[in-house]
Amino acid sequence: MGVSVFEITGRWLIRSLNQLGEFFYLFFQTVKQLFRFPYRWKDTLKQLNFVMIESAPIVVFCVCAAAAVTIVESSFHMKIVIKNDELVPGFAALLILRELGVVISALLITSRVGAGLAAEVGTMKITEQIDALKMLSMNPVRFIVLPRFIACVIGGVILSFVANLICLYVAMLISEYKLGYSTGSFIVAMRSFVEIKDLWFAAIKGGVFGSVIPIVSCYYGFKCKSGAEGVGLATTNAVVTSSVMIIGLDFMMSWLFSYYY
Amino acid sequence: MIEFINLKKSFSGREVLRGISFKIEKGEIVFILGTSGTGKSVLLKNLVGLLQPDSGEIYIDGDRVDQKTEEEYLPVRKKCGMVFQHPALFDSLTIFENIAFGLRKHFDLEEAEITRRVEKALHLVHLKDVDKKMPQDISYGMQKRVSLARTLAIQPEVLLFDEPTTGLDPVTTNAINKLIFDLSRELKVTSVVVSHDMHCAMDIADRIIVLDKGQVVAEGTAEQMMQSEHPLVKDFLEEVERGH
Repeated sequence: MGVSVFEITGRWLIRSLNQLGEFFYLFFQTVKQLFRFPYRWKDTLKQLNFVMIESAPIVVFCVCAAAAVTIVESSFHMKIVIKNDELVPGFAALLILRELGVVISALLITSRVGAGLAAEVGTMKITEQIDALKMLSMNPVRFIVLPRFIACVIGGVILSFVANLICLYVAMLISEYKLGYSTGSFIVAMRSFVEIKDLWFAAIKGGVFGSVIPIVSCYYGFKCKSGAEGVGLATTNAVVTSSVMIIGLDFMMSWLFSYYY
Repeated sequence: MIEFINLKKSFSGREVLRGISFKIEKGEIVFILGTSGTGKSVLLKNLVGLLQPDSGEIYIDGDRVDQKTEEEYLPVRKKCGMVFQHPALFDSLTIFENIAFGLRKHFDLEEAEITRRVEKALHLVHLKDVDKKMPQDISYGMQKRVSLARTLAIQPEVLLFDEPTTGLDPVTTNAINKLIFDLSRELKVTSVVVSHDMHCAMDIADRIIVLDKGQVVAEGTAEQMMQSEHPLVKDFLEEVERGH
């Protein structure tokens, strides 16, 4: 007799909930370590450089490209439908601040940093460095996860903030050269759509997404099975799960923030 | 004294340890031999709480250790130093910091004392002028020695070696084996060595324990092993003869 759809769904659900519980457990273990000093500042700064400085060019490039496409496409379609594109600067600024800037930044950090973290921690696991840490009375969460967590949260906030600002500037340039709106009219249109709290909400989202990446990546690294295949699988799972969680959390936070607009 | 009583451990339904029982006396050099996958490393990891047994009991100096929590394992891990199959050095730290790591965590020592102990540990494994280097800047054999130095620095009463010569050339293998013997005698520690190397075991072990399919199938001195009728022991001895 074959396995029923309900049984398969049930098993998947139990496994997913179990895994979610383990993510939360690792998250709380990490947060607990935040209150214990001293931090490993040297490693934290090294991670911050990797997460923020080295990721900045690719994040800014991709976010700006997305902003340019948004402006050009929305102008094209608005002109067809309502014969007017004067709402485009405001609409584009809103989209950039609330969604594009922060979500694209987070997804790019996931693919760049999350994959690297999962591979690094996975390799530490299979070369017994994590067992060695335990033998030397060092909590692996404190040694491995904490510096990466701090770096990703700070990096997530700052990168999303910077990416948003640069992105808005690029949107303004595109509006001027492609649509013919002056800087002043872009700012006026933008101000009727967005508020300063949009920038703060974007920073909050950046921090939350930044916290998801190291937790999920380190989790899969800790669970990594031996061999190149094990490391590859840990990396893939880390990127896919982080990306899905970022998109899910973005939806939940956007919903929550909508009560404050 | 270390004692395992009817120790069992399974992974995903596969029984790896199937009721292991034996004792190791203080100051002994004991080799645990067996083919791959017979649970030798699992046995060592159960001893120091890196894995939890499904059932059975483990005692170190009369203290039952198999039911301890992670926090309670700390003194056990201070007493038992482990050298892993891989060097397991931390890539982000220099050789000096790698060796000092355990000292800083386990003891409250002055910096001068830490430096003295690191230098002594490096001297014991015949290494010098490597303390400022990063692990990736020295050879694999040297990394293995640093790993041993890191364990020696905390002055454990029990040294656990998990296949210490895996992946090494014959010259370095002999050097490491000699080091295990010399250090065990010099520091008067109990040494438990998990290995495939019957030749080395015959040379330096006080006692040899052979595992097969998760069970102890032979146990005794090198002379007693020569008399064993167990097919696996005979296979190992044939390997030794071929090696000569």
